[in-house]
Amino acid sequence: MSATTDTSTTPAAASGERDLILKARGITKSFPIGDRTLEVLHGVDIELERGESVALIGTSGAGKSTLLHVLGLLDSPTSGTVELDGVDAWAMSKPRRAAFRNIEVGFVFQFYHLLPELDAVENVLMPSMIRFGRGAYRKRRKELKARARELLVGFGLEQRLDHRPEQLSGGERQRVALARALFHDPPLLIADEPTGNLDETTGEHVLQLLFSEQKRRGLSLLLVTHDDRLADRCDRTLFMRDGQIVDRPLQ
Amino acid sequence: MYRLFLSWRYLLTRRTNWIGVGGIFVATGALIMILSIMAGFLESSRAMLRGPLSDLSITPYQDGDPDDGSSLTREPGPLLDLVVEDERVESAVPRLVWYGQAAGNARRTQRMMVGASGDLSAIQLIGVETRTPSLLAEAAAAPLLAALGIPLEPTAGRAPDGSARDAFAATDLFAALERDSLVGMRVANPLLPFARPRTYDPDGRPAAPVVLGEQLMNGLGLVRGDEFEIVTMVPTPDGKVASANRRFVVAGTFRTGAHALDLEVIYMARSELEDFLSGHLRYSEILVQTTDYDAHGQALKADLEDRFARAGLIAAGLDREGRIVPYAGQVRTWEDFRQSLIGAIQNERVLMAVMLSLILVVSGFTVFSILTMMVTEKRRDIGILAAVGATPRGIMSTFLLIGFWNAFLGTLFGTIAGILGATYINDIEIWLSNLIGVQIFDRQVYYFDEIPSDVEPMTVAWIAGGAFASTLLFSAIPAWRAARVDPLVALRNQ
Repeated sequence: MSATTDTSTTPAAASGERDLILKARGITKSFPIGDRTLEVLHGVDIELERGESVALIGTSGAGKSTLLHVLGLLDSPTSGTVELDGVDAWAMSKPRRAAFRNIEVGFVFQFYHLLPELDAVENVLMPSMIRFGRGAYRKRRKELKARARELLVGFGLEQRLDHRPEQLSGGERQRVALARALFHDPPLLIADEPTGNLDETTGEHVLQLLFSEQKRRGLSLLLVTHDDRLADRCDRTLFMRDGQIVDRPLQ
Repeated sequence: MYRLFLSWRYLLTRRTNWIGVGGIFVATGALIMILSIMAGFLESSRAMLRGPLSDLSITPYQDGDPDDGSSLTREPGPLLDLVVEDERVESAVPRLVWYGQAAGNARRTQRMMVGASGDLSAIQLIGVETRTPSLLAEAAAAPLLAALGIPLEPTAGRAPDGSARDAFAATDLFAALERDSLVGMRVANPLLPFARPRTYDPDGRPAAPVVLGEQLMNGLGLVRGDEFEIVTMVPTPDGKVASANRRFVVAGTFRTGAHALDLEVIYMARSELEDFLSGHLRYSEILVQTTDYDAHGQALKADLEDRFARAGLIAAGLDREGRIVPYAGQVRTWEDFRQSLIGAIQNERVLMAVMLSLILVVSGFTVFSILTMMVTEKRRDIGILAAVGATPRGIMSTFLLIGFWNAFLGTLFGTIAGILGATYINDIEIWLSNLIGVQIFDRQVYYFDEIPSDVEPMTVAWIAGGAFASTLLFSAIPAWRAARVDPLVALRNQ
């Protein structure tokens, strides 16, 4: 897949008092390959305001996914800091960071990544199960379950509540994945080509849900995509090339 | 919460888990069954091995000269007095053992001699004490009870709990008489085994009654009430050997199940045998039954040796410091007679347990490979779980829990099945034998009439605990590897 290169909105200029949900400074990331090291990210700075949606566009191999993993606290940066909700996340201990990720970040992946042994409701509940201890979860299980069902019904999946992923279509799977990511209102939603695997109609349906939920809940969205039209629907667009955020894509 | 939920869900949805559970189930069940049956066999073999031996046997040297002061007593009385004084002694009884040869009914034996006792092997003549107080009392009451219509349980010598109460019960004869005979020639009254049979019609002086082994009686071509001749050699006081022969009458038979005993032993009253030997020997050994052999058999042996030596009742010498030391071999436990065989049996038991524990290791490996497979298969799931906030530790315990369920279910059901199997092994054997038409357990081969099995709680606990622990240990490695799966690699791969 290659990135389209077209003009788009310029990155918002930093100005005055802003409510930042995400603030990354000087992110570098390098992987050892044999006896050499391959630097994928060369000092990326990125900021996301609360409630803002940002599209990240770039060629394959530009380091989008790596950046996304670092920002989503899945992969550690070689250097640099990631402040999520004002907290330096990579300074935390591993278990605390896992819990922090559970609360702060919702992920939507291109390939849905649902657990195949669990039905739709259970998949949506998984982050809550991880979040709460056994006693705490038991206490609010009824309420959580009801909320999960409600959310899925709201996404048009009332017929699919107890279906396993393999029994769902791609669009349905992605809606379940979206419900999982949104279930306990994380301030930051990270979506990695959420429609990359869907046809246009179903993709559009998922996108409408994604954006309406993002607006309604007032959460920040970081969206990786190849699709310029999709990028246009975001508040602003960042271009990425050779491990750096650049102003404009090369022709 | 998700650990328990996910582990249970994976267990139920991945069928391969049931292979793991099944493996542990079979291993634990088989191990418990085999070891229980082994224990039963060994216990029964131990009983067989012991055979007619009583707990302790006292056989003082009696070869001194009666006229010289160094001689030991030839009477059992003084020894017996010392023995029964001890509270660890249940009962003690003297008996006289000699050897002889028996000639049967010439006409009837012609065709039978060849196979059976035709080789004229020596026959053990055992004179037992029957004139013990409680036995005589019960025997005396028997006709009265019978007249009143009250059934008489032959409890002579046995306390209600089955332990020996009377000296007579300490003898092998008593136990042998209690067994059902095959040819139906039991003595009329086990309380009075040496009563002359009703069918006996003596011409002239009535012969002394004897009880002999079933096979021996058949071999000699005799039936109850027949007379037959026993020949033996007796040393005379002047140092020569004289032959002696006497006619005896068959009062009944006994059956022990042990070939050697049933073919080579003749019992009679001690006084009769003493008379037959012209008073050469009053007794040859004192048999002692202890209250609890396992608890203090060995200590009792040492104490008795010491006491006898002090009283000058058994041969003894002085050691360098002038202490009296009894010569060995005069007081012996039954184990002293069977030392090497007992050692072999214990050895075999340990060896068996060690070898069979390998089954546990194998079932542990099954779980190990199943979990390893599952971790590989579930790499993506592990990545997803990490993305939604699971810690490596949580992922590890999820997989460890799957191993736990395998171990728990397998051990639980295996233990239940093993205990049931060991308990009802005879029913299972009969059912299986009928099903496949092959005799699995040949009752002719063994002395026992059924497959013995002894479910020892400690053994069961060890096996169950071992199976559980080893499975858990084996699942720790894949669980640890699951925790080390890089979520990124797992998420990237499609």
